[in-house]
Amino acid sequence: MKRIFIDQEKCDGCKNCSFACMQAHRQTPGTVYDLDLLDPKNEARHSIVTNGKGGYVPVFCRHCAVPDCAGACMSGALKKDPETGHIQYDEKRCGTCFMCVMSCPYGNIKPDRVSRTKILKCDFCVNDKEEPNCVKSCPKKAIHVEEVVWEAAV
Amino acid sequence: MFESCYGCATCASADKPLEEFIAKLPMQTSHHRVDTQETKCGFGLQGGCCRLCANGPCRITPDSPRGICGADADVMVTRNLLRAVAAGSGCYIHVVENTALNLRNTALIKGRMKGPEALERLCRIFGVNGKDEYEKALKVADAVLADLYKPEYVKMELVEKMAYAPRLKVWKELGILPGGAKSEVFRGVVKCSTNLNSDPVNMLLDCLKLGISTGIYGLTLTNLLNDVLLGEPEIRTAAVGLRVINPDYINIMITGHQHTMFVHLQERLTDADVVARAQAAGAKGFKLVGCTCVGQDLQLRGAHYTEIFDGHAGNNYTSEAILATGAIDAVLSEFNCTLPGIEPICDELLIKQICIDDVAKKANAELKPFVFAEREKLSNEIIDAIIAAYKQRRPRVKMNLMPDHGYENTLTGVSEVSLKKFLGGNWKPLIDLIVSGKIKGVAGVVGCSSLVSGGHDVLTVSLVKELIARDIIVLTAGCSSGGIENCGLMVAEAAELAGPGLRAVCRQLGIPPVLNFGPCLAIGRLEIVATELAEAIGIDMPQLPLVLSAAQWLEEQALADGCFGLALGLPLHLGLPPFVTASKVAVQVLTEDMKNLTGGQIIINSDAKESADILEKIIMEKRAGLKI
Amino acid sequence: MKHLIIGVGAAGISAARTILKEKPEDSVVLVSQDEEVYSRCMLHKLISGERDAAGLNFVNDGLLEHKNLEWIKGKTVTRLEAATKSVYAGDEKIASGDTILIATGANSVTPPIGELRTAKNAFGLRHLPDARGIASCAKNAKEVVIIGAGLVGLDAAYALLELGKKLTIIEMAPTVLAINLDAHAAAAYQKLFEDKGVVFHLARKVVNTRGDGRGNITAVELDNGSLIPCDMVVMAVGVRPAIGFLEGSGIKTERAIVVDDYLESSEPGIYAAGDVAGFSGVWPNAQKQGEIAAYNMCGTKWIYDDRFAIKNTVNFFGLLSLSVGAINPADGDEVLVKEDRLNYRKLILRGGVPMGIILQGEIGGSGFWLHLIKNKMRIDNRGKSVWKVSYADFYGTQQNGEYKWVV
Repeated sequence: MKRIFIDQEKCDGCKNCSFACMQAHRQTPGTVYDLDLLDPKNEARHSIVTNGKGGYVPVFCRHCAVPDCAGACMSGALKKDPETGHIQYDEKRCGTCFMCVMSCPYGNIKPDRVSRTKILKCDFCVNDKEEPNCVKSCPKKAIHVEEVVWEAAV
Repeated sequence: MFESCYGCATCASADKPLEEFIAKLPMQTSHHRVDTQETKCGFGLQGGCCRLCANGPCRITPDSPRGICGADADVMVTRNLLRAVAAGSGCYIHVVENTALNLRNTALIKGRMKGPEALERLCRIFGVNGKDEYEKALKVADAVLADLYKPEYVKMELVEKMAYAPRLKVWKELGILPGGAKSEVFRGVVKCSTNLNSDPVNMLLDCLKLGISTGIYGLTLTNLLNDVLLGEPEIRTAAVGLRVINPDYINIMITGHQHTMFVHLQERLTDADVVARAQAAGAKGFKLVGCTCVGQDLQLRGAHYTEIFDGHAGNNYTSEAILATGAIDAVLSEFNCTLPGIEPICDELLIKQICIDDVAKKANAELKPFVFAEREKLSNEIIDAIIAAYKQRRPRVKMNLMPDHGYENTLTGVSEVSLKKFLGGNWKPLIDLIVSGKIKGVAGVVGCSSLVSGGHDVLTVSLVKELIARDIIVLTAGCSSGGIENCGLMVAEAAELAGPGLRAVCRQLGIPPVLNFGPCLAIGRLEIVATELAEAIGIDMPQLPLVLSAAQWLEEQALADGCFGLALGLPLHLGLPPFVTASKVAVQVLTEDMKNLTGGQIIINSDAKESADILEKIIMEKRAGLKI
Repeated sequence: MKHLIIGVGAAGISAARTILKEKPEDSVVLVSQDEEVYSRCMLHKLISGERDAAGLNFVNDGLLEHKNLEWIKGKTVTRLEAATKSVYAGDEKIASGDTILIATGANSVTPPIGELRTAKNAFGLRHLPDARGIASCAKNAKEVVIIGAGLVGLDAAYALLELGKKLTIIEMAPTVLAINLDAHAAAAYQKLFEDKGVVFHLARKVVNTRGDGRGNITAVELDNGSLIPCDMVVMAVGVRPAIGFLEGSGIKTERAIVVDDYLESSEPGIYAAGDVAGFSGVWPNAQKQGEIAAYNMCGTKWIYDDRFAIKNTVNFFGLLSLSVGAINPADGDEVLVKEDRLNYRKLILRGGVPMGIILQGEIGGSGFWLHLIKNKMRIDNRGKSVWKVSYADFYGTQQNGEYKWVV
C-alpha cells in the first residue's frame, strides 16, 4: 500500500498541507482563492502540533496495518480497503457512535463539527489520481508517499 | 558562487522566442524560480494571515476564525489591502514629487522645457500664469508640490481642477476627497497598523481615497509634468525587443519610473566630448536601452531622442534576458521595477550597477543620489564609471545576442493628445466608430507583467487577442505594453487578429488594434482619454463602454492604480485576486457593492477567454445602457 | 480445517473474516440464532424508523458470500458437546468443527418483578426481534416506561422520542449513564432529555407492575409507592452472558466462560470471544477478541492482552462525550477539571499517570487518551500542561511509516 511519510524535522508548521487538505475535501469545487477558510465543513483531516521547541509535529493518518478505528466501527462504515490498504469511510453506513474517535491512538479522527453525524478522517485523497493534496502542497517537501507492505505483523 | 540553474524548468512566456532564450541561459532568472516557488501559501493567497503583531502570524481556519487579537478575516484582509495600497500610493507620490522638483529646479535655472504646449495646457487647468515659460513651469510645479505636502486634513486643490465634475460629486458624497497626498499615505499606514482600525468598509473607502491621490498626482500629473520637461509623445513607429541592443555601443539599461532624474545624463551622453571618450574606449558611442516603465517612457517620447535611445527591449521580467545578452555595460536604476535578481547576473557579467535614487538601491550598486545642483559632476562620474566597466568587461564577456527578437515597426508615441490629434483634433471619429458598432468598446489593458497567471505576459497577451477579436480596441500602459509589443500586437499587421469591425478600422487608418500609451504612469493618460470621451458624449464614466484590465498586476502600485480605476467607476479585471478572498466583506464590496458606491467593480478571472467574455458582456451592457 | 463459530455479532463476524483471510483453504460454519447480521449498537435506529434491518448490517465486504463459509441461521444452540466439538438444537445436531468459537454474546436481564418477564408489552433491547417488538408495540403506545438510564435505556428513549412518545425513565443509580459518566457530565444528558419532555425517576426501583389482566402492563410501581401509568415497558438494566447452553458441556464457566490469555476455554480447541468471554463488552474489544481467537484457532498463538474495556462514547442530540477509565477518583488521586461554555473535561491522575478522562463537548482527535490510560503512561513530566499532551508528545515512526510511541 501507499503510505504517507513525513520528515518531521522539515515541518515548519506553515499549514499549507492543512490548507491543501481543506481544498481537497471542500464540498463544492473551486480554486484555492475561493476556499471558505471559515467553513467548519472544510476542516483539515490532520493536525500540526507545536513541539514547544520551535518545531512542529505533523500528525497525519498513516493508515495502520491493523487499524483500531475500523476495528471499533460497529456499523461497517470504516473499512480497510483490501486493495489500497487505505482506511475508507462510508458516511452512509456510519452510526455516529464515534468509537473510532476514541480508538485512534494518534488522534486522527474527529467528529464533523457542524452536523455531528459523521467523522472526518484522511481518505488519502482517494478521488485524486496522483497523490494526496498535502504531499503536493508542502513547500519543504517534507511529505512524501512510499509503497509499503501492510500485511498485519504477527 | 553564482547560483547556476542551467537546465531548470523555466516558466512559460507569451513571447516564445524569449522563453526559449531564457530556458537556455546558463544563469538563473526569475523565470527559473517560478518552478521552485510554485507551492504557495494558501492563507497568504487568500489574505487570511496576519503578522502585524508578535502574537502572530495568525491564520484563519474553521478552527480559528479570528486572530488572537480578535481580528477576523475581513479585518486582516482589508488592513493588508490598505497597507498595500498606501505603499503603492507612496511609490507613485514619490515619483510625482521628484518629477515636480525636477521641473521646478529646471525652471529656476531656466533650463529647457521641451513641451511648451503641455505647459500651456497645465497652466490653463491649474489657472496659473507667468511672464515666461520658466515662471509658468515654476508655478505649475509649485502647485503640485503644495498639494502633495498638505496635511491630511487639508484637501488638495488640484483635485477639483483635474477631476471630471460628475466624479468629483460622487467622491464628495462618499467623503473620499484626499488631503495632502503624502499625508494620506501616512494616515493609511497608521490606520492599518496593529489594533487600530478594524472597520473593513472604512478601510476600503480609504483605499479609494488613496486611489484618487495616486491617480491624479502619481499617474496623471507625473505624465503631464514629464511632457513639459521631456517633450510630448508623437506617434511614430519604432523597433522593440532584444533586437534593439547594439553591441557596438556602450549600452546602459535604465530601470525605473523617473525619467526626469537622468535627463542631464541622457543629454551628456550625446555630447561630442563624451561620444569621443566612448569611441576612444572602442565603442561607437552610448545608447540607452529601454527596460521597465522608464523604457516605455523613453519609447513614448522617442521622437525627441532618436540619437541616444535605440528602443525598448522589454518589460520588467525581460530585464534579466536583456542583461544576459552580454551587451549591456551598466544598469542605472532610479525606481522599480529593478528586480533583485539582476544582481547576480550583473556580477557574473561584470555589469556596472549604479543607483541614482536610494529607494531603488541594489546591494552591489554604487549609490550616486541625484542632486539637481550637482548633476554635471554626477553625470561625469557616472560616465567615467560606465566607460571603465565597458573597458573591463567587453574583452571578458561573451555576447549572447538575439538580433531577431521583437518587431521593427511597432506603433508608439500614443497619448491622449497625440491620439486626438491623429483622429483630427477631437474624439468624434472614435465615438462614431463605437456608436456604429465597428468598435464595440475600449479596453485599457494596463499594469505589470507577472510570471503567474500562466507565465510571463501569458494572460495579458491572450486576453488582448481575445478582446481585439471581439472588436474591442485595446489601449495599453505599463509593463503589459512591453510584453504585448514584443509579441507583435502593436504592428499594423496585427489588425489581422482583430474582429472584422476593428480590423477594417485598423486597415483604413494603418494602425494596430492595440495602442500603446507607454509606462504604467500613462494609465493616467488612458484615464484622461476615458474622461474626455465621457465628457464628449456627456455622460459619467461608469456609463462608458470601457473596461480596464490589470490582468497580470504585480505590485502594490498596481493596487493603488486599481483603486483609482474603481474611484473613476470603471470595471477592473484582475487575473488573480489581490490577497483578499478570505474576506467575504472585501469580496462583496470590491466585486458587487462598489457598483453602487462609485460605479466600479472588480472582476477576477484568470482565464483569457472567460475574462474577455465577461468584459465584452459588460461593454455590451454599457452600450445597451447608452442605447447603442 | 473446519471452524465452527456460534454467533454473528462483532466477535463472530470478525473471527470468521480473520480465519478466511489467514487460512483461505479452511472452512467456517457460522451458526446463529439471528436470521440477520446486525449491529446491536444501532437497534434504536430501527425503532425510530431511521434505518431498516438491512441498514443495521455491519458486514461491509463479501464475507457472508465466501465460498468456504456456511451460515446456518435461525438455530438456537441448546447444547455443546465438547468431545465431538458439536452443537445441537434440542436433539438436532446442527454442526461440528475442528475448533469452536463461542460468540453468543449476552442477553438482556429481565428483573423478576411483577409481570416484567411475562407481559406482552415489556421488552428488553438486545436483539433484532426485541427492536422489532418495541417498534411494533410502540405504534399503539403513548406512554412508555424505560427501566434503566444507561446507554441502552437512553438509546431506546432517543428512538421513542423520535416517535413522539411520552417517556418516563426509572433508574436505580442517582444519575443517568452512571457507568459511563460522572454526575456532572451525566446531568447534561439528563437535561437534554428532560428538555424533550422525558421524566426521570433517579435512585428509584421498580417494585411491582399493574396489568390489564390480558398480559399487558398498565403501570409500574416504584419503591416510593408512586405509580407510573404506561402502555409499554422497555427494560435496559443490563445483560448476562449467553452461556446457558453450556451447562453440562464441561466447559468451565463462572459468570461467563473462563478463558486463558489465548481466549481458549477449559476445553482445548474451544474458544470464546465477546460478551460471552466475560470481559466487559464494548464493540471494539469484542471485535478484537474475535480476531485474536481466530488467529489462535488457526494455530498462530496470539495473546489477548487488551482487556481494557472501561471506555465508551456517548452521543445524544449532538452532545458528544468520551469516557475512558476511572470516572471517579480514588483516595489520593488528583482531579483536574476544565469547563467552558461548550466543554466539560475531567482528568483523574494518579502519580502523574492518567487513570480516567471524561471529555464532553469537543472530542475530536482525543483517541490518544485511551492509549495513555490503558498503558498507564505518565503525562505530568512532559513540560507542559497535561491538557496539552497528545500523541504528538510521543511521536515516532517505524521503518514502514507506522507510528510508534516514544517515551
